[in-house]
Amino acid sequence: MARVNEDAQWIVMLGFIISIILIFLALIVNQSALIGKTTAESVLEFPKSDIQDTRAEILEYYWNGTINQSDLEPYLSNLSLERKGTIVSYDYNSTENSIAIHYNDGSTEYNEMVREP
Amino acid sequence: MYTIEGVAAGILMIVTAYLVVSTTTVLTPQDVHIIDMQLQQLGNDALAMMDTPDNYGPYSPLTYMIMTNNSSSFRQEFLSFVNNATNIDTSGNDRDRLNYTASFTYWNVTNQPNTISFGGSTYYRENAVKVTRWVYLPPFNPTGYPADMNSNTNQTVLLEVLLWRE
Repeated sequence: MARVNEDAQWIVMLGFIISIILIFLALIVNQSALIGKTTAESVLEFPKSDIQDTRAEILEYYWNGTINQSDLEPYLSNLSLERKGTIVSYDYNSTENSIAIHYNDGSTEYNEMVREP
Repeated sequence: MYTIEGVAAGILMIVTAYLVVSTTTVLTPQDVHIIDMQLQQLGNDALAMMDTPDNYGPYSPLTYMIMTNNSSSFRQEFLSFVNNATNIDTSGNDRDRLNYTASFTYWNVTNQPNTISFGGSTYYRENAVKVTRWVYLPPFNPTGYPADMNSNTNQTVLLEVLLWRE
């Protein structure tokens, strides 16, 4: 009875290793499809422009001298709540010459104290 | 002797089956979100540029456009900003093809929000993003606007622009 010839065992071994490598490559490809989506989604979800815009508007009140006008804030906060579902408020302290800005859209909250000289 | 190969093949098959089953099949193109992100940033930047006064003192072009109900001027300036491409031929044809429709909301004299159109093209349900901008208005003569608009006080209105690529 002939002995089992094991000379080609390395070919099987190589196939085994390559298939393991392929699995890991497939894993990477599998994940990469989701990376662009999750990154873009988190950028879209964060209200960067909203906050910058709100801040710019409130500081515009300060620079054109209308920040003391008491009926100006409801325009901003009411429209913000009505159209964006976002809570926006500010409070101007004339003795310290500072503006407290509050922004909350449910997932992101932003508070700032602006001190003008 | 061939036991290890058998076991390896078995593991391979199980892992492959697990991968196939556990991978959530997502049929929508994933880069749509990236395009949305870029479009939103572009629109916000354009509105921010238009809401910046050209020189020290007076109000921004956007404020003047809304005060004078000048939606054609808004159209011209907004489209020139968002469609600006680097490789423009001399006839100006080689521009980006973005379009918009705009409206703004004001808080009226009876304390209700009221939205009115501010020009733009017809929206046929393209993939669009919305960008907004607060616009400061001083007391003005609201020519061509509904009568319930506040005109004798400083106020802020919310400009909303729907932006899409044709």
